[in-house]
Amino acid sequence: MNSRKQITYLVLLLVGLGVSAVVYKHKVLGFPLLANQTETVWDLEAKLQFEADGGPVSVKVNLPDPNPARKISFSKNVSPGFDYKEIEEDGARYGFWSSEDAEGPQTLYLRVQTYFVDEPQITGDVPTLEQPDFVGVQAEAANRYVENLQQQTLDLDGQVKQVLADINSRANDNMAVLLQDRGERSEQMALAVSLLAMQDIPARMGRGIFLADKKRKQSAVFFLEVFDDKQWLLFDPREEEQISWQQVIIMQHSTEPLIEVYGGSDSEFSFSSLKQQRPTFKAAVDSAAQDSSLFVDFSIYSLPLAEQNDFKLLLLIPLGALVVVVLRNLVGIRTSGTFMPILIAMVFLQTSLLAGLALFVIVVGVGLIMRSYMSNLNLLLVPRIASVLVFVIIIYAAIGVTSHKLGIEWGMQVTFFPMIILSWTIERMSILWDEEGGKEVMIQCGGSLLTAVLAYLVMSNEVIADTVFLYPEMLLILLAVIIAIGSYSGYRLSDLRRFEPMQKL
Amino acid sequence: MFGLASPKKLRELGIVGMNKRNVKYIAQNNPRHLYPLVDDKLKTKELCRQHNLAMPKLLGVCKVQSNVNELEGFLADIPQFVIKPAKGSGGKGILVITGRDGEDFLKPSGAKVTLSEVKRHVSNTLSGLYSLGGKPDVAVIEDLVVFTDDFDGFSFEGVPDIRVIIYKGYPVMAMTRLSTHASDGKANLHQGAVGVGIDIATGHALNAVMNARPIEQHPDTGKALKELKVPLWQELLTLSVQGFDTTGLGYMGADIVLDKNLGPLLLELNARPGLAIQVANGRGLEPRLALAEEQSRLHPDRSAEERVRYSMEVIAPL
Repeated sequence: MNSRKQITYLVLLLVGLGVSAVVYKHKVLGFPLLANQTETVWDLEAKLQFEADGGPVSVKVNLPDPNPARKISFSKNVSPGFDYKEIEEDGARYGFWSSEDAEGPQTLYLRVQTYFVDEPQITGDVPTLEQPDFVGVQAEAANRYVENLQQQTLDLDGQVKQVLADINSRANDNMAVLLQDRGERSEQMALAVSLLAMQDIPARMGRGIFLADKKRKQSAVFFLEVFDDKQWLLFDPREEEQISWQQVIIMQHSTEPLIEVYGGSDSEFSFSSLKQQRPTFKAAVDSAAQDSSLFVDFSIYSLPLAEQNDFKLLLLIPLGALVVVVLRNLVGIRTSGTFMPILIAMVFLQTSLLAGLALFVIVVGVGLIMRSYMSNLNLLLVPRIASVLVFVIIIYAAIGVTSHKLGIEWGMQVTFFPMIILSWTIERMSILWDEEGGKEVMIQCGGSLLTAVLAYLVMSNEVIADTVFLYPEMLLILLAVIIAIGSYSGYRLSDLRRFEPMQKL
Repeated sequence: MFGLASPKKLRELGIVGMNKRNVKYIAQNNPRHLYPLVDDKLKTKELCRQHNLAMPKLLGVCKVQSNVNELEGFLADIPQFVIKPAKGSGGKGILVITGRDGEDFLKPSGAKVTLSEVKRHVSNTLSGLYSLGGKPDVAVIEDLVVFTDDFDGFSFEGVPDIRVIIYKGYPVMAMTRLSTHASDGKANLHQGAVGVGIDIATGHALNAVMNARPIEQHPDTGKALKELKVPLWQELLTLSVQGFDTTGLGYMGADIVLDKNLGPLLLELNARPGLAIQVANGRGLEPRLALAEEQSRLHPDRSAEERVRYSMEVIAPL
């Protein structure tokens, strides 16, 4: 059998296998064909800035309590120079950063992606009521206030709202007395808890953030949680109304501290939140897993979530490879290093496109300048590449430090770039420059970046990424396409350009 | 400026594209195990010596770094030479020395090269700077060709060579690459050399291109390129065709130079010859390759001379 026929059969076989697996999963297991059913996902970013004193530093941040109705799909800590771990103390979860030695302004980030699978309910045993210890005039005012409130025969919801309204408006005389020494919001919430306790209504204070789209620099605000029968209800003290647990993330309850910074001062804690619509196919995967379908049992869905995420990234690489194959063999773009663009595209996934491009150009540009000096030194190949590697590290450090001092935070992301690959790129570009001139360098650099950007655009497309994750069998179809292109003997776009003058002959 | 040819038109002209060259002609005719014969110039030289093919004389080989320090003594009595990486590609790392100026060496352009620069060049070559994939390499030092006067005025500096594409033993297309000031004495089209298509039948110039654009005159000397005629043409084609008989590579390029005293010399063989030759000739390769394929099937026993004659009579006019 000649290779041409073999390729045809192989391509057909691969496409057949891939398509039948996709059809089976869709028809029999009920997977959505495109991962286009959506659910709301919240991207939360907590940012803690403080001034380190220059010595051991530790930072403790209260994390939201686990909730079966809220899932975390992604969690990442970005804090260069600090060790991070999650600890549990007295039933509360904390994020704990530590560093042996830190000085000057520090910024710690915690990024979480979370979504609600159910209407969350916070249940619990009936809490014990702590009777307040008002004294003197305050005790009298409190008693009178509660008596007045009880005469209004309101239900629980009404009572809570009334208390909050009176705190906000200060119109009630008794309330005015009680608020005299209570300027802080936390004290006012504690007052509300006390007043409700006097009516045998268990309540507690919560602190957290609102889930709002595109909100930056939010700070943690106070909420009032009231126990009714079996579950806790959540009240927003500003709007004086009951709200759903889906609208907020409570970081901290009553007496727990929100943040503690040892070895630093001037701490500032802020949050950003971003709403996203994300495809959901969890239900299909879960139900198939319950039926112990082989397709799901022996698939990447059976892995722990963190490993699944790793594979999700790995599954994207063939897409990048396809982009490289198309651009090189169908378009005819020249790149520096065959798969270097994929690695760069993966860096772009971690940084962002513009920051990644800027960093790449800076590192390679400065590297080429430094390398051009080395051309005169008569060095052997391996020591020369090693020197370029050292250059690259120095450039990384310089970018990191400079951008940090200038307050450009994306500069730190330079560390995501694979330095060995960049060193080789610089070395190759430099030789290319010596031998074929700057034009060829620009062509190959531009070709590599164009390929990297296109690969990034494909790999960062969530519909594509999720669909491939949903149907890893599609890799067989992808393989078939790559093999088919591998035997394509037609013209490349660059051929059409190159042989264009021949049309006139 | 950014015009594109229509694929239909290119097919009519019989132009072979990159993919077709790689998939059809190279992959199907050049078995992988034969590549080292042509990718390693030292092996090519040895093979050609065994088969009595004329090549520039091998002066010496620098195999290890310690050889680099022996260069000064070795080169002392050799006024003209060429240093090449044995596994170089695309003309990279070729250093041509045409004379001396005191302690220094002279390049064809007249630029001076110091001994330490020559040593660095060899040292770089050994460490794999110019070789495919950066693998360690050896440096080949060979005699500089005493070039025939027939091309005077057609080449600015250095030695012009003639590239012949051989398909299954038949010469199918030829061109000469004339070095220019811009190409630094090197005869590589993408380094700015002029490509002139040569008629397989006669050795006369057909078309000329520089940087993929048609030109009429040599950019440095101003000589009309149409007047170029390669002497000893049939002899040259026969030498190139023998490259196929020696290596067995079905689709290959033979680079040949004309020495004043020795006639055609085989410079090197290439298992992946480029496609710019089509532009230089103003013709597509496809119909010629198809005919050569058919002939090699029908007449497997033809001698080199017979194949050359067939190409000159039948393939050339296509």
